Amino acid sequence: MDNLLNTVVLMLEGTQVTLQIFFITLIASLPLGLLAALGRISEIKPLSRFMEFYIWLMRGTPLMLQLLFVYFALPMVGIMLPDIAAALLAFTLNYAAYFAEIFRAGIQSISRGQYEAAKTLGLTHTQTMQRIVIPQMIRHVLPPVSNETINLVKDTSLIYILAMNDLLRVARTIVQREFDMTPFVVAAVFYLIMTFVLTWGFKKLEAHYGKYDK
Amino acid sequence: MENMTNKEVMLRLTDIHKKFGSLEVLKGIDLELKKGQVMAIIGPSGSGKSTLLRCINRLEEIDTGKIEIKNRILAQNNGENVAEYVSEKEAREILSCTGMVFQQFNLFPHMTVLQNLLEAPILVQKRDKQEVTVEAEALLKKVGLLDKKDCYPARLSGGQQQRVAIARALCMKPDIMLFDEPTSALDPELTGEVLKTMRELAAEHMTMVVVTHEMAFAREAANHVVFMDGGVIVEQGTAQQVIDNPQEDRTRDFLKNML
Repeated sequence: MDNLLNTVVLMLEGTQVTLQIFFITLIASLPLGLLAALGRISEIKPLSRFMEFYIWLMRGTPLMLQLLFVYFALPMVGIMLPDIAAALLAFTLNYAAYFAEIFRAGIQSISRGQYEAAKTLGLTHTQTMQRIVIPQMIRHVLPPVSNETINLVKDTSLIYILAMNDLLRVARTIVQREFDMTPFVVAAVFYLIMTFVLTWGFKKLEAHYGKYDK
Repeated sequence: MENMTNKEVMLRLTDIHKKFGSLEVLKGIDLELKKGQVMAIIGPSGSGKSTLLRCINRLEEIDTGKIEIKNRILAQNNGENVAEYVSEKEAREILSCTGMVFQQFNLFPHMTVLQNLLEAPILVQKRDKQEVTVEAEALLKKVGLLDKKDCYPARLSGGQQQRVAIARALCMKPDIMLFDEPTSALDPELTGEVLKTMRELAAEHMTMVVVTHEMAFAREAANHVVFMDGGVIVEQGTAQQVIDNPQEDRTRDFLKNML
């Protein structure tokens, strides 16, 4: 019993690292993704091309490779980052690219009539995006954003290769030391609790944003 | 019939041409709209009437010609006979006296009815929220929808949505109201309530341009009827002249099919 309690305490510490990566990545990549989406649909061609390239690069290579690259390759060119910052940089750049594509689809699903109505009421393009397009877009993209967010919880486990003691790495360490599989089960339960809370939260958000359909 | 000859010119279009790709949809339109005039533009689909309306407030841009709104030039030909628009800022200012009602209503679905009305006056005209709220509620009362002010548009029927859209445009205090087939997307039993609102507006001498298929409305409420076909104005005049006693074969053919 003591042993299990000990395991859980260690794994809660690991969960802290996992949650830290998760929240900081989410908070940074959502606005960055929106900016990338706006850049991607911009009429400024070089900007749009650059964003297209960035999204292609991030979605076209494994997240694991990106992590390793930031962690090992950047120091070689003189950019030294603390472990956690390196992980966060890779995660944020990767997730922003996925969010960008989700946001782009959301923005493009808003009908031309909305832009025209805003224009005839004298709204500038920026005002139209801020007040008319993006608020409607948010509702449309909630389901895919929810999906990506749940992926992110699980993807945080990739940092075990950077020797950071996240939930999964702690579990594996204990399993290897004690020859006991319980930590894996506990880890699974922890991940499930996190995704359950997220699923519940997004359901609430969807209900909130869905109120104008009724 | 009111005498319009001495009234202020609100809108003047001169030799307007507009192409979509290689298709010329407007082939030299000259038109004048005077203060308090209710102009109905009728004609078969594809005659260019909606495009003409959308050119007035720059939802479409003309290729050549001149657009003047309240004696200010929005666009005119340069040396190469290509229409050039004034600066973005000036265009916005000139067009601020126009309001538009769309076939598809285009209400903002994420805002309540009242918020739909308040948004632009507060954001664009920087008016005081309380003052605008009083006006917006009065407008909603006028179109018979004050009790729906806290509803989201999805809860309303098409006819109700269109009346909100009219109130939303009016809340900006426009001098010219443009209607692009305002009843075409409505079930027949709902067109009446929208036309009633428009008739009331006409009776208050609002300057209006209405692209419509409603011949009854054109005949009763409009004091100037324009018949378009194939990108040109075939004939224009009072409703009595154009609808009851058309001079051109094309007008007669069209009306025969409509009535």
